[in-house]
Amino acid sequence: MATPIIMPKFGQMTEESAIVEWLKKEGDKVNKGDILFTVETDKSVMEVESFEAGTLLKITVPPRVNVPVQSTVGFLGNPGEAIPAVAAPAPAAPKKAEPSPAPAATTVTAPKSIAPTAAPIISQTPDARPQTPSLFRISPRAAALAKHSVIDSARIKGTGPEGRIVEKDVRNYLQQHGYDKLRISPAAKELAAKEKLDVLAIQATDDSGRISVADVQRAIAEKPKPLSKMRQVIAQRLTQSFRDTPHFYVTVAVDMTELIAYRSQLKAAGAPYTVTDFIAEAVVLTLQEFPDVNSSTDGKTTRWNSHVNLGIAVSLEQGLVVPVIRAAEQLPLLELSQRTKSLAEKARAGKATPDELSGGTFTISNMGMMDVESFGAIINPGESAILAVASTKPQPVVRDGKIVVRQIMKLTLSCDHRIVDGALGAKFINGIKQKLEDIELWKRLAA
Amino acid sequence: METFDIAVIGAGPGGYPAAIRAAQLGAKVAIIEKEKLGGTCLNWGCIPTKALIAAAEIFEKIKHAEKLGITVKDASVNYSVMIGNKDKAVGTLRSGINSLLTANGVKQFTGTASFVDRNTIEISGGPIINQIFGASVPASRLTAKKIIIATGSTSAMPGFLPKHERVVESRAFLEIQKLPASMIVMGGGFIGCELACMAAMLGVKVTIVELLEDILLLLDPDVRREVRAHMEKNLGIRVLTGKALEKISADGKGVKGNFGDETLSADLLLCAVGRKPVTDGLKLENAGLKTTDRGFIEADDYCRTKVANIFAIGDVTGKIQLAHYATAQGIAAAENAVQTKLHKHDTIVPNVIFTSPEVGTAGLSEDDAKKQNRAVKTGKFRFNGLGKSIATGETTGFVKWIADATTDQLLGAAAVGPHATELIAEAAATIRSELTTRELGRTIHAHPTFSESWMEAAHALHNECIHAPPKRK
Repeated sequence: MATPIIMPKFGQMTEESAIVEWLKKEGDKVNKGDILFTVETDKSVMEVESFEAGTLLKITVPPRVNVPVQSTVGFLGNPGEAIPAVAAPAPAAPKKAEPSPAPAATTVTAPKSIAPTAAPIISQTPDARPQTPSLFRISPRAAALAKHSVIDSARIKGTGPEGRIVEKDVRNYLQQHGYDKLRISPAAKELAAKEKLDVLAIQATDDSGRISVADVQRAIAEKPKPLSKMRQVIAQRLTQSFRDTPHFYVTVAVDMTELIAYRSQLKAAGAPYTVTDFIAEAVVLTLQEFPDVNSSTDGKTTRWNSHVNLGIAVSLEQGLVVPVIRAAEQLPLLELSQRTKSLAEKARAGKATPDELSGGTFTISNMGMMDVESFGAIINPGESAILAVASTKPQPVVRDGKIVVRQIMKLTLSCDHRIVDGALGAKFINGIKQKLEDIELWKRLAA
Repeated sequence: METFDIAVIGAGPGGYPAAIRAAQLGAKVAIIEKEKLGGTCLNWGCIPTKALIAAAEIFEKIKHAEKLGITVKDASVNYSVMIGNKDKAVGTLRSGINSLLTANGVKQFTGTASFVDRNTIEISGGPIINQIFGASVPASRLTAKKIIIATGSTSAMPGFLPKHERVVESRAFLEIQKLPASMIVMGGGFIGCELACMAAMLGVKVTIVELLEDILLLLDPDVRREVRAHMEKNLGIRVLTGKALEKISADGKGVKGNFGDETLSADLLLCAVGRKPVTDGLKLENAGLKTTDRGFIEADDYCRTKVANIFAIGDVTGKIQLAHYATAQGIAAAENAVQTKLHKHDTIVPNVIFTSPEVGTAGLSEDDAKKQNRAVKTGKFRFNGLGKSIATGETTGFVKWIADATTDQLLGAAAVGPHATELIAEAAATIRSELTTRELGRTIHAHPTFSESWMEAAHALHNECIHAPPKRK
């Protein structure tokens, strides 16, 4: 009997997922370990490989349909084998579907490139297209005329019974909107029809006023496209945080001259520390002195975290993820450095698991390599502060009454004013500053 | 020192239309030419070759006229008369340009232009003046608000070639008074192939040596296969590809060169390996301009260079080296130099090759489409299925449409066969107008004409051809 292929569960919290793309077609031979399809989760796009060899007999769930995890998405077996009559899982079903019997085991690995192709997203977006009114709202003749004219009939006001659009309405609409003066190349009209665009909404750029294929392509490019799941998550979480959390900001300038010199010394001796590692360690140490900053609030209660779960923001081509180093206070500097590096690499390669991307208690956002003076970050939901690290630049400063050039880095702490007041924020960020400027401390920690 | 609105350097097919267009728009225009009005195209390129090819084709037709019921005895070639006829045609056209420039009030200067600064040009001697008056003629200067560089290109002659009268490039080849009995053509591009066909039709034993894997590589494989087969089978041209011509030597008796293990010998070697831009003596640095690594002057789609008041057009810009492309750029440059609203020049450029059979292409080739990962459909119709072709006995070749698979838009066309260079005009206009295959297929084409082939090929694209059996799926 054919073996069902099931939608794997990616993280503890994942309840439903959508296939981005089937990499095998029905009838394709599948080897053990071949990638069957890719799946979009909240944080990334994962590849799902086959645990068994056989032929892909049937695809029951097309791309871009949300289905509960553990549901059957297709069948594997020998050519000609009977496929059990299973109804496709209801898209985005509110309830969890029954786990399929004897599922074909699948393993999940992250893909080489996690950028989903844009095309399938666009082609499945009903929102970006003119709404086609139901048969009741428009007469068949009117609908045919609107289609033939490549216009959006949803914009037409109907004068028939109960507001039904009749042919006369379409003709009037065309006349009112200067359709007889519209000039469009035949290929441009064909393309607009294929893309279900309204030719009356397309602007010609050529001197002649004739809409060309390039104009239609411009209109296609301007159609609203859905955000990737990752961006939607970013949008939802950061909007929530910025709306619900009263932010305020404290900035200090840190003199990094000595630490940078010491780091070069360490590097020459083969120790792999980065400036981020020192900042992370200084943050971990300071958080233990100010546990209020390592807590969170819902406005009524406050919750202290016994561990420092340090998030370090990593920018990706298609968004941003925050891998979390759990119980960072238990790690010596060297291990903290190694964990930071390996987690960041994993996140960049799209291989970080959802569990490695959640549960933070404090976050560092480092834009030091982006040549910025200073910036303020938005606090991640569930945390009470975030540290924004700007670029280190040589700057004139006053030392012992003289102007000297020092390597200066600006740190900005964004605080949730509900639990962190100005004084606490100032003390906390100065705690970080003092540590970074205390070269003897690093000599002890890094030795 | 005289002051102009526009100065054009070079009076070739890019420069003189630019000058005329600028004058039409009311500008005071100067044009500077160091040799002859019309440039390479008119004097040593397009026009003279076409005069010779036309004569060669008549001779070729006479040779095969017997089967049409015409007997011509003792037909022979008097090449020096052909050359005289060619020179006459060139002379007529050149004086035509002179009168057009004069009628439009364009002031002509003869000599070599060089920049003094971004608005000032010094004009000195130049080959013709020097020949007549010696190098003693003092240089003159003019200033212009805007300057259009249209200095063109010249045949590239690789340094390893011996300097000998038996080793020539296309310009010198067109001046020889007596055809050789045999010749080697180095380079299988369109210049090499056109001259090879012309010479072969006039009875010269021709061998083409091309370093790359095929001749006319810019064409789709099916198109160039058609040309090559005809050149080899019907014109008796030997085509050698994939290796370089090496150990080239020339002496009083002839030229020799090695192609792999074989030693080739002939009376003449024609080098046609490409053309290089002409910027010698321009002193671009005085205007703040630099050439690219390959010696070209960079210009954008509005023909603007990096210096605000200087434009560049034609072969010297290193884009498409065709006279009509230079003309389109020249007109755009003139309009952009005189008017405030900027125009881009058009980008659908028909390409014509006067080999036997002729070739015309426009828009995207099938190869280009593949490189761009575009889904395309093609429709082809062979001339041997066309009434007019069979009636006139010109049945070699085909026309082909390349269309977008989803919108049916005509993206490109290729014609190889009788009158292909004329036929391509319809295709260029059609592609520029963004017509679809269906519309072209519904357009009534006169019967019996060669142009019907376009309509048939459009039908063929949808497997709805009337005059060809349906393709099996």
